[in-house]
Amino acid sequence: MQKLQGIAVSPGVAIGEALVMDNEGFRIPRRFVTRDAVDDELERLEAAVEAAGAEIAHNREAVARELGEKYGAIFEAHLQMLQDSRLRSELHEMIRERHYSPEYAVSRTLRRYAQVFQRLESSYLAERVYDIFDIEKRLLRHLLGRRREGLSHLSSPVLILAHNLTPSETANLDRKFVRGFATEMGGPGSHTAIVAEALEIPAVVGIGPFLAEVSGGDTVIIDGDEGVVVLQPDEETLARYRHEVEEKTTLAARLETLRDLPAVTADGVPVELFGNIEFPYEVEHCLDRGATGIGLYRTEFLYLGSATEPTEDVHYQAYSGVVRAMGDKPVIIRTFDLGADKVPHLRPPEDERNPFLGLRSIRLALRNLPMFRTQLRAILRASVLGKVRVMFPLISTLLELRQAKMVLADVMEDLDEKGVPFDRNLQIGMMVEVPAAVMMIDHFVKEVDFLSIGTNDLVQYTLAVDRSNRDVVSLYNSADPAVLKLLTWAIAAAEGAGKPINLCGQMSGNPIYTMLLLGLGLRRMSVTPSAIPEIKRVCRSVSIDQCRAAAERAMGMENARDIKSFLREEVMRNVPELGL
Amino acid sequence: MNLPKATRTVRLSNPEGLHLRAATVIAEVARRYRSKVALHKGSQRAEATEVLQIATLGAAQGEEVVLEASGDDAEAVLDTLVDLFHGGFGHEEDEK
Repeated sequence: MQKLQGIAVSPGVAIGEALVMDNEGFRIPRRFVTRDAVDDELERLEAAVEAAGAEIAHNREAVARELGEKYGAIFEAHLQMLQDSRLRSELHEMIRERHYSPEYAVSRTLRRYAQVFQRLESSYLAERVYDIFDIEKRLLRHLLGRRREGLSHLSSPVLILAHNLTPSETANLDRKFVRGFATEMGGPGSHTAIVAEALEIPAVVGIGPFLAEVSGGDTVIIDGDEGVVVLQPDEETLARYRHEVEEKTTLAARLETLRDLPAVTADGVPVELFGNIEFPYEVEHCLDRGATGIGLYRTEFLYLGSATEPTEDVHYQAYSGVVRAMGDKPVIIRTFDLGADKVPHLRPPEDERNPFLGLRSIRLALRNLPMFRTQLRAILRASVLGKVRVMFPLISTLLELRQAKMVLADVMEDLDEKGVPFDRNLQIGMMVEVPAAVMMIDHFVKEVDFLSIGTNDLVQYTLAVDRSNRDVVSLYNSADPAVLKLLTWAIAAAEGAGKPINLCGQMSGNPIYTMLLLGLGLRRMSVTPSAIPEIKRVCRSVSIDQCRAAAERAMGMENARDIKSFLREEVMRNVPELGL
Repeated sequence: MNLPKATRTVRLSNPEGLHLRAATVIAEVARRYRSKVALHKGSQRAEATEVLQIATLGAAQGEEVVLEASGDDAEAVLDTLVDLFHGGFGHEEDEK
């Protein structure tokens, strides 16, 4: 048994069969074959070598015909390498003596050759490593046939273990069968984290190198609550986790009965519970849990999935689907919120040593007006289909907010001229996620229709902690008194101005903080859809007076650890069934 | 049975060293003869008919390679191979 520690990014526990992906998105197959299968597997290897050989010969002839004999020579070299007698006997030995699968034997042997080339001093010869990789891929393709297609053709439930998952890999993910993710790379807010949360499956990222330790088909455990991945679990560990999964299922079933009940406190104060979504299909998850709106519709996936800039129509298709599905419930669409390094069609930044403080989000949108306007046009067009609201992220100065509003007004004017209908009274809001915005909140509340606190970034900027940096992540804490002070100011200012204020960071989805937030005066929370029932349970179990008292005590404490453990006790006392 | 043996030592003169196309040419030549031919670089040994093995020697410009042949045409095959080495394996190459 091997326990690996990573960063928990999506809660829950999954136990199941591992599907291991290599760096290039190839599925690495089972490592071992049974003794009886050895002859069949050897035959399969021979067939693959023959097919790969025929393919190379065909390429050689085609290239030689087109470009001349000289260019065909490289394929001749590949063909001869493929037929190398030592290589063949090495592969046979691995399959016959060690019972490796042909795929695993090919991968291992050719990677060893690749290492030999990589170590060569002559850079010219070291380049040959790509020829070896080419042969490896060709052989694997023939061995795996259709099965190589990674994540798009699955036939049974699997847990995906990978170096890193790219947007293009997850775009075609077979959602029905994926039960969890564990990746070597990545941090909170990474693509894997977002997709896992959207799929409501557990995920652990940033584990560091571990894929060499595991083989496809092994049983693994992904614990998305503690950020732990267990390889080759022993019986006792398996039993413990199975028990945990069962308990969670029972709790989820009990909470499901809350679906059609309103989120009101025990003393009758209504709370609006919205859902956060990234992908249009998550609307179902929100409606299933009885969300009364979409409090945060992230639009980043539209930019990540393809190499070209999304067209207005691509935006419109996504937005209109969500807005229609939500009917008369509000949908808050957040505009572009990425750094240039993440967007395939934007020029990579030249001087971005500190991306979180760099050209990203609204700053980038205001420098790429045609791209920004395309998105705003699509949002405006969708606004006639339901209750659409637009929200600008990462606002740090009044000037920035005014600029963004001006661009929006300008796009409205354009649409007017063209006779395209849109909602003239479209509500405009901003994310409160930079401490400067909280300092200036008295001014901001006058210029927006609503506000939404993004705690993920607010905590990071307030405490100067990069939460994807393993060395400092322990300093990242939503319960830090400095953060709570900022929340208090923002909520009070919005209340004073009569503007609705929402909290849409991960903090609002954690039931530990629900009483505190209600006590501070927050009446609208937007959470990941799977968290709605738990948060609703807490709301329905407590009174505002209790919450105020808890908030007051918490605000008098000096450090995050005390505050967090006090809040945990409070919620445990009032809602013991959550088992926190 | 006592087969004739032959040995030659060559120093690689072409800048790319014992590259892939060179390995292919060597293997092609070696297969045309009956003798068994091997290339040695230090303690590493490669069958002259096997491209992957030859390439894995990773012999670079200026390094020495020992050619060994055993068979009735041992001298002839080594003569041809040595010519290839000296000629830099035909024209300068620009594959890809």
